[in-house]
Amino acid sequence: MSILKDVLSELFGMFVGDARLTAAILAMVAVAAVLIDGTALPPLAGGIALLAGCIAVLVVSVRREARQRGAAIARPPEDG
Amino acid sequence: MLDWSTATPAIGAAFLASLVEVVEAFTIVLVVATLRGWKPAVLGTGAALATLGAVVLVLGPLLDRVPLHALQLVIGVLLLLFGIGWLRKASLRAAGVIPLHDENAIFAQETAELSEAVRRQQTSQDWIAGIAAYKAVLLEGLEVIFIVIAVGAGRELLWPASLGALAACALVLVVGVIAHRPLSRVPENTLKFGVGVMLSAFGVFWTGEGLGVDWPGQDLALFVFAAVFLLAGLMSARMVRQPVPEVVQ
Repeated sequence: MSILKDVLSELFGMFVGDARLTAAILAMVAVAAVLIDGTALPPLAGGIALLAGCIAVLVVSVRREARQRGAAIARPPEDG
Repeated sequence: MLDWSTATPAIGAAFLASLVEVVEAFTIVLVVATLRGWKPAVLGTGAALATLGAVVLVLGPLLDRVPLHALQLVIGVLLLLFGIGWLRKASLRAAGVIPLHDENAIFAQETAELSEAVRRQQTSQDWIAGIAAYKAVLLEGLEVIFIVIAVGAGRELLWPASLGALAACALVLVVGVIAHRPLSRVPENTLKFGVGVMLSAFGVFWTGEGLGVDWPGQDLALFVFAAVFLLAGLMSARMVRQPVPEVVQ
């Protein structure tokens, strides 16, 4: 059972290592799908939005993680 | 006839990603071999490869039943989740925000943990060591299978991608057997950076195709996406490496 648990945990971690990152990427895919299927814009516009959105998600996610880790290091240990 | 403009990135991504995963699995197998001999290491590895083979045999035929656009969309989204996750981590490592993967340190840690587990169990010590090798190869192998399917299934390139993965396994095995120590000199973060770039590019490409986008330049668009992700990854690493100015309130 431990092996099965580890396998499931590994599979989950492969795609949902960071819930915020996962949610942001899925949101970008949803936006692209709406642009392609729900508007009169050419499908390529949705594709470009997907690429640009994923790049933005990557940059924001790296900056957020770096800021959080920096703040954790800079923060003095609490008493007690 | 093989279209090399699509096959090259697929084979390259499968090779490089497999190289990273196999190096990680090899470290654990080497721990087992060093502590308990090659028998449990080889048995555990063989059993894991058999399990992975069974997974491929079961899942492989199912892929043919899924409509191409649906397959591209699902795999594309999974690739985006997986690839951007890798690229983000590689950027953070390149910037020094999180520590680099150190195979020597992992070897020492795994050796200590397995020694403790074996010491606690007076019986069937080889069994415990074999299970450790089995788990390592199975877990890393699952990632290899996903990557091979992800980069190969959308264009019927499963065989070329599999060959890329097998070449990586053979390379690590040969170098590992000769060196007989953890392969710590492999530039793992650079490889992960490159693989993250490629998987993210494939992710945008397949997701777009699955949604009905007809990319200009067809498969050559992959190279443009890879260049854009590479620049974004490098830029992100550079941005977070710089000191953050103090905020004056």
